Amino acid sequence: MAAHFAPRARAERYSPMPTRYDVIIIGGGHNGLVNAAYLARAGKKVVVLERRHVLGGAAVTEEIFPGFKFSVCSYVVSLLRPEIIRDLDLPRHGLEILPLDGTFTPMPNGDFLWRVNDHAKTRREIARHSKLDAEAYEEFGQAMLQMCKFVKPILAMTPPDPTTLNPKDLGKLLFLGRRFQRLPEQDKYNQVQLMTMSAVDFLDQWFETDVLKATMSASGIIGTFLGVRSPGTAYVLLHHYMGEIDGAFRSWGFARGGTGAISNAIADAARAAGAEIRTQSPIAKILVKDGQAVGVALQNGDELYASVISSSVDPNLTFLKLLGAVHLPGEFVEEVQRYKFRGSSGKVNLALDALPDFLCRPGAGPHLRGAISISPSVDYMERAYDDAKYGRFSRRPYIDVVIPSLTDPSVAPPGKHVMSCFVQYAPYKLSEGTWDQQREAFGDTVIETLCEHAPNLRSIILGRQVLTPLDLEREFGLTEGNIFQGELSLEQLFFLRPVPGWARYRTPIRNLYMCGSATHPGGGIMGAPGRLAALEILKDWKKGAS
Amino acid sequence: MADRRDVIILGAGHNGLVTAFDLARAGIKPLVLERRPVVGGCAVTEEFHSGFRCSLLAHAAGPLDSGIARDMQLDRHGLQWVHPEPRLFAPSPEGRALLLYSDLAKSAQEIAAFSPKDAAKFPELHALLARIANVLCPVLAMTPPDIDHPSAGDLFKLLQAGRSFRSLGRKDMYRLLRWGPMAVADFAAEWFETELLRAAIAARGIFGTAMGPWSAGSTMTFLLRAAADPDPVGTSSFPRGGMGALAEAMAAAARAAGAEIRTGTEVTQILVKDGKVAGVVFSTGQEMPARAVISSADPKRTLLGLVGPLHLDPSLVVKQRNYRCAGNVAKVNLALDALPTFTALAGKGTSAAALAGRIHIGPETDYLERAFDASKYGEFSAHPHLEVMIPSLSDPSLAPPGKHVMSIYVQYAPYKLRNADWNAQRNALTEKVIATLAAYAPDLVQKILAFQVITPLDFEQTFGLTGGHIFHGELALDQLFTMRPLLGWARYQTPIAGLYLCGSGTHPGTGLNGLSGRNAARAALKSLR
Repeated sequence: MAAHFAPRARAERYSPMPTRYDVIIIGGGHNGLVNAAYLARAGKKVVVLERRHVLGGAAVTEEIFPGFKFSVCSYVVSLLRPEIIRDLDLPRHGLEILPLDGTFTPMPNGDFLWRVNDHAKTRREIARHSKLDAEAYEEFGQAMLQMCKFVKPILAMTPPDPTTLNPKDLGKLLFLGRRFQRLPEQDKYNQVQLMTMSAVDFLDQWFETDVLKATMSASGIIGTFLGVRSPGTAYVLLHHYMGEIDGAFRSWGFARGGTGAISNAIADAARAAGAEIRTQSPIAKILVKDGQAVGVALQNGDELYASVISSSVDPNLTFLKLLGAVHLPGEFVEEVQRYKFRGSSGKVNLALDALPDFLCRPGAGPHLRGAISISPSVDYMERAYDDAKYGRFSRRPYIDVVIPSLTDPSVAPPGKHVMSCFVQYAPYKLSEGTWDQQREAFGDTVIETLCEHAPNLRSIILGRQVLTPLDLEREFGLTEGNIFQGELSLEQLFFLRPVPGWARYRTPIRNLYMCGSATHPGGGIMGAPGRLAALEILKDWKKGAS
Repeated sequence: MADRRDVIILGAGHNGLVTAFDLARAGIKPLVLERRPVVGGCAVTEEFHSGFRCSLLAHAAGPLDSGIARDMQLDRHGLQWVHPEPRLFAPSPEGRALLLYSDLAKSAQEIAAFSPKDAAKFPELHALLARIANVLCPVLAMTPPDIDHPSAGDLFKLLQAGRSFRSLGRKDMYRLLRWGPMAVADFAAEWFETELLRAAIAARGIFGTAMGPWSAGSTMTFLLRAAADPDPVGTSSFPRGGMGALAEAMAAAARAAGAEIRTGTEVTQILVKDGKVAGVVFSTGQEMPARAVISSADPKRTLLGLVGPLHLDPSLVVKQRNYRCAGNVAKVNLALDALPTFTALAGKGTSAAALAGRIHIGPETDYLERAFDASKYGEFSAHPHLEVMIPSLSDPSLAPPGKHVMSIYVQYAPYKLRNADWNAQRNALTEKVIATLAAYAPDLVQKILAFQVITPLDFEQTFGLTGGHIFHGELALDQLFTMRPLLGWARYQTPIAGLYLCGSGTHPGTGLNGLSGRNAARAALKSLR
């Protein structure tokens, strides 16, 4: 496959401001950039148009306070597809992943749960809470590994259409069926449960320690409008277990220089392959002629033309804002309108003068180098969700904290730190007031919640940035502030993502493609949608050429 | 094959009776053993106050699979159905009433008072559900395929199901795929804008489950119910004389076909020898040999209780323990001196006419969800969702002249209460229920002569439902079809040769349709003959 995408000589590509491109890519997020890199490597003349002044979309590093560099939105990496890292040779373009070791969960009773990558250590730690769970943990890890192996090829597959009799689609479905059939009995059972159950119901079968279940189930709800007891969340649990860095499952990490460094590495790879990338180039609309996408009009009035338009922004923006419903069949428009975004999370970024001091484990130490999870009990998590269901941000939210400056000192001035707090739930639609009115109250709630565990926090904050779902929408173009460009719920996955019948990166408009997280396999810094869309575009290109 | 009573059916609930009938008709005359003094299991009518009789548990039926009803000739065995109209009455707290009838035009007219848009969509949904029912019905009536080694028959049936699925057309095919795992609240909101109507529809997706309307997968439960009756809000039909009359007619049909039924006979153990069923042990200690036992008790009770973990593979024991069957429903039956007056019916002519069907209490989907929230933390709902029937309106034989019985399903009432015991909470629950109803019918309180409460604990202790789950196990995506009760054991057989399951804990297992019993009989007959 690598040979097929051999980059063209750069000299050929070097012409100032070409007006006609093979492909215009809307949005310079990680998926748009992956899409660009693959297409450019296949010899296409590609331009990426990014609205903001920086690349990366939600995978971006910005210096919010002088000297403090924040991974503003997305903050850890684990899902980036290894084939993309390989194909694009990202390490050569500056990507370096630093390990994120462990998850530390402070508990209100003064105890804590601290899981690390070292199995023996984690086992001893869990045994402190429950001997049975310590044994089950090992087994659980093994089972999840098997499940990840089963799901892996699905992530690298363009979803089949289950309603046609096309032999290729049937072949894919049969392939999936056969694979499932060949699983050992126990794995089959686990797999089915993972696809259908709630994270807590699933974990209940393995573990008895509440805080362990709460912390593990948290990965099942990240970025969704579901609770840890909502059916379907067990699957997302797997999604987050799938972290593969250098082929090792289940490891999470930081990119040196922040998450934006990932985007920059991909952008670099794309440029090296000949792609042109423009920032501060917001698009006003997608140009359509005779039912075909022919180009885009920029907000500054410029028009660019291309054979293919590939949009990495979400379906709401792509179809309803940039394209316009008039060009689309009514049923498709209805489906797009029905597509659920429902942003449920916010972000609080803090510039710190010193490190937080946790009551349950005072002092600085390796426990601060991993994730710090505010998820003391299953009921705590579920109550946080209950608030959101009725349109309030959680009075006591689930918070996933990381302090990347401990691992990567380059992101903060010497001795100081950046702290990233992912907060759930913060529903986009509030039942009372607006997010502009509630922003600071939301930030206060997060600080208060953290201070219950680390009271010194309040006095060491040098700067605070609060991002509500509304801010995510305004700043990053994520409709309703959904960090995955649409809810990762069963009815919006695989051949149903983003809408039934259009899960194969194509759209009802000829030459218009989707390549963002709203397509299979969805969100996270995975890059898979960008890559799969590129492969489909190239497939159609070949067909059209022949 | 001879007329020996060596095939035993445990439990004379409706599924056990269907299995008994099908076996008897095929020439194998089974012996049905029922622990309680009456047949029917959850389909029973009992006198709970002098002169007042009520369907103790289920109060509106199925409907029973039409093939089963036809084969058993239940009408010849004394069964008469009552079809009250309207099917559903849903009052709103502001005093508005939504009435839905079997006649779609009439329902649409009622809905139009709330929203003309919804009125137009209601018949559309009905028609669509009818099309989907055509696809789902054959699936409900089939033995789930063997995933590991599908037989030619399995493949053929799957192919047939696939063909009927394709007959829906591309749009509806995708709709069905999308709806299955969705929350019923989203489903209802996709169709309608009237909150009361949304809630009435959502209620059908959560009935008897430990899910709220915002729980993913509740649309599947809704669609499974709609497969039996495509009316968006479901049936209100019940047998004259209450549910017990249905059980008695079924028992009569089974007896006529050659089955023997013994009530008041409790089996405490299923005897296993060399991995095969050897017989049963009665509570008296007496043993009875048998070559096959078909249990209509729930899977946990059958396998972990009556057979015992000793005879089972440890991994199966673990899976069976993890089978989710914690009930979330309670029942309150009231004996009433007279009909209560519903505020919402003030301008609707005689209120008696409006109260004949099911009365839905739960004005908004959020109300239903809040009711569910409590159960997650081990509390019963402060403002429960109620499904009420006054069967004596259509069947005066159930109460003394002029008086009435009111049957109330209460959701949510979790089997496991946190920091409390159900036996100490009976009155507290009843008070909540009456207070909730009194908000809609303020004079109800003065009209109550007597009441009966059936808690999830009673469901377990009196009716033998493990965890008090009225469907013998949660109706969730992970426990349906090839996974009901367990993946690999969804074909009515068990790891014990000669032991079969035929209760609601097997596919399809939703309510009173009798299909679990019929499917199990077909599976058992293959090896019994």
